[in-house]
Amino acid sequence: MEKYNTFKQEENILIHTRILDAPRDLVWEVWTTPEHIKEWWGPNGFSLTTKSMNVEPGKIWDSIMHGWGQDFDNKIEYVEVKKPSLLSYRHFGESEDYNFTVSILFAEVEEKTLLTMKSIFKSKAIIEELNRRVNAIEGGKQTLNRLENYLKILVNEQGHE
Amino acid sequence: MLARKSLNVNAIAKEFDITRQAVSLHVQFLNDCGLIVIKQQGRERYCEAKLEKLNEVTDWVDQYRKYWDNKLDSLESYLAKIQKKKK
Repeated sequence: MEKYNTFKQEENILIHTRILDAPRDLVWEVWTTPEHIKEWWGPNGFSLTTKSMNVEPGKIWDSIMHGWGQDFDNKIEYVEVKKPSLLSYRHFGESEDYNFTVSILFAEVEEKTLLTMKSIFKSKAIIEELNRRVNAIEGGKQTLNRLENYLKILVNEQGHE
Repeated sequence: MLARKSLNVNAIAKEFDITRQAVSLHVQFLNDCGLIVIKQQGRERYCEAKLEKLNEVTDWVDQYRKYWDNKLDSLESYLAKIQKKKK
C-alpha cells in the first residue's frame, strides 16, 4: 500500500496521494464537518474554531486557528462539491497571483480510500517565486530567530554556572 | 557572517557579545546540522557556511509537502481512532 503515498510536482501543480484505511463516505465526512475537521486540520498543537461551514459551490468555510498565543484566520471557498468523490476549494493568498485551488479526489480502492490532492497554482513561475522568497525571507527569518533563541539559552546557561 | 568568508571560532566570537565557549557550542550545533563544515588548517579550525543545505530545508514546495504529509498522517490516525470507537 505504501506505493500509494506519493508526492510530485507537475509544472504548476503539486500532487499528494495517500491511501486511507476507511470507507469513502467516512473520509468525505471527516473533510466536510466542523467537529471532524478540527481534529486534524491545521498546524500541530493548534486548535481550530469553525465560525461557519457551508460545503456548497461558491460557499465558504470560515474558521480561526489558535496557536502560539495568536489567532490566524483560515478561510476557503468551495468550488466543486461532488459527494463523495470530489471536493475542491480556493485558498486565498496575499493577492490574486498567490491564490491556488486545491482539488481532492476520493476513490474507492480495495475497500480503502485513495486520496489524490492537487494544489493548482496560477503558474509554475509562482511556485518558483514562492520557493525563492521562502529562501530569502521566511527561511532566513526563521533560522535567525532560532539562532537568536539558541544563543539566549546558551547565555542563560552560562550565567547560572 | 560566514556566508562572506570562512572564519575561525575566535574571529566569530569577536563579533558576538557572548563567550567564546558559547560560540564554540553553537558552531558545533551548526556543524551537526550540516549547515557549516569545520576545516582544520594548521592549528586553526575554520568554519565554512553550507548555504545550499539551508535552501534544502526552507524550500517552499518542500515545506508544503512536509506540512501536508503531516496533515495526512493526522487524518489517517484520526480515521483509525473513530473507526475503532464505532466497532
